Amino acid sequence: MSDIVNVSYLAVGPEIILTLGAVAVLLVDVFRKPSPRVHAWIAGFTLALAGVVAGFQWTAEPSVSFSGMISIDRFGTLATFIILGVAALGLATAWGMVERLGRRGAESIVLVFMAAAGFQLMATSQNLMMIFLGLEIASLSLYVLAGISRERVQADEAALKYFLLGSFASAVFVYGVALTFAGTGHLSILDLRQFFATYVVLRPGVTLAAMAMLIIGLAFKVSAAPFHVWAPDAYQGSPAGIVGFMAAAAKVGAFAALARILIAGFPFYQDVWSDGLALLAAISITVGMIMAIAQTDLRRMLAYSSVAHAGFILTALLGGPGGLAAVWFYLAVYTVQLIGAFAVVSSVAGPMGAQSPLSDYTGLADRSPFLAGALALFMVAMSGVPLTSGFVAKFAAFASAWAAGYEWLVILAVLASVAGFFFYLRVIVLMYMQEPAVAEAPGAAPARFQAVGAVRWVLLIAIAVTLLFGIVPGPLLDLVRNALPL
Amino acid sequence: MTVTAGWYFTLAFVLFGIGSIGLLIRRNALVMFMCIELMLNAVNLTFIAAGRELHDLTGQLSVFFVLVVAAAEVVVGLAIIVAVFRTRRTASVDELHELKG
Repeated sequence: MSDIVNVSYLAVGPEIILTLGAVAVLLVDVFRKPSPRVHAWIAGFTLALAGVVAGFQWTAEPSVSFSGMISIDRFGTLATFIILGVAALGLATAWGMVERLGRRGAESIVLVFMAAAGFQLMATSQNLMMIFLGLEIASLSLYVLAGISRERVQADEAALKYFLLGSFASAVFVYGVALTFAGTGHLSILDLRQFFATYVVLRPGVTLAAMAMLIIGLAFKVSAAPFHVWAPDAYQGSPAGIVGFMAAAAKVGAFAALARILIAGFPFYQDVWSDGLALLAAISITVGMIMAIAQTDLRRMLAYSSVAHAGFILTALLGGPGGLAAVWFYLAVYTVQLIGAFAVVSSVAGPMGAQSPLSDYTGLADRSPFLAGALALFMVAMSGVPLTSGFVAKFAAFASAWAAGYEWLVILAVLASVAGFFFYLRVIVLMYMQEPAVAEAPGAAPARFQAVGAVRWVLLIAIAVTLLFGIVPGPLLDLVRNALPL
Repeated sequence: MTVTAGWYFTLAFVLFGIGSIGLLIRRNALVMFMCIELMLNAVNLTFIAAGRELHDLTGQLSVFFVLVVAAAEVVVGLAIIVAVFRTRRTASVDELHELKG
């Protein structure tokens, strides 16, 4: 299969368009010094065009091209769709930051595009080396985005911590790639599956170590415990506008790569890796929920809650090929909730702000009813209350793990979800039932926050998606069932 | 005594271990970064040894990719470390404690 050199530019179409869009933004910025509005048009056009090309991919026959490096299949295309949507919503949320960065605004658009292209490459690649390249393209862009407001001490601290631990994770992942090659002589995922199906593995220890390294490397990127330590600092210190994109896109890309490697590449080791993933999921859910309760900063709380959600998505992955639909549904709706929550955070903290102490949110409902209502809905959805998309996602994930025989994990996850109500509800109680803290200057009214410009649209879309797929999840569930890897 | 590929795999494993332990116990951002480079070079050694053992050029080819990625990482990493050094006059990660909770 990999001997045939066929080149299909459709397979890398969205990535090419994103790259060209990034170059266009840079060139226009250098030669014309335009207003941010021009950049907005270029960015919107690029994302829309990439979406159209991804639509062509969806209808195309599944195939591999570039000597078996890149595939066109609905698995990768669905990831591309979600990442493009995340990039659009994330960029709209970050627009206040882009405008305020001045001459560096264009660079942040470019970095978002490159990160999106990298994560899409992770999801569509059939070759472990290509997945590593996509991972690095995306990660390096995210390190820079985390520190883009480098004059603030929180931002460069967040960037450095993210960079050191992220590079460590990348090194672990690529060591896994090297060990896979040493153990089997193959780097292509399809060749790997064929190899395991036809030959007796001479070095089972090397292959198992390789698989563990690949899983650990990607577990870092999705912030699954115990590999989550960078996440709270990176979420808290980075510019508020961009955190939603950083968190959401990384989850989609890394989970897509993880699912493809394990389900398409190592299906004959499923009883081994699913035990490992179940352990990771149990630790992530427990650690995430317990640590989230103790936080006094909304962003750190969201970071720990995202650790727990990574655990829930791992739970869905335990079902193997049958659990993929649950993984995709969870990723699609959770990323929207996450970006929505961070859109509220960036409206309250300011698009460049670092730190979001919970005290900022006391009595928010009186001052900014729209923001408070939106945040309350996302909190309710993340905790998994029925009639929101979070409930359907959790239900599908638990059903997948139950069918795979991990009853103990499902019971633990349900108990943790109930415990999770506590800290999600605490935010709602703060916003609706408490008076705002006394302002420092006597007589000064507490600040009113408003969702300005594009952020309001992001919030409306996120609210609509969260409610729509909570009440009628059928169409999306049917759609994601088609998203299987080659 | 012939030096087989297994020796190289072992050496690479030891290098990778030294790198990861160094990353965990050293507190200077620059030294931690050097440890990451050491880990990436251990990966390169594994690729080359495996490629030689299997008579497959893919191993040596992969080294180029890892090298390029390592170079790109140096660019971004050193820039971040310099930015941190400028605001705090130190590259020790123990001094970075604005963010916690």
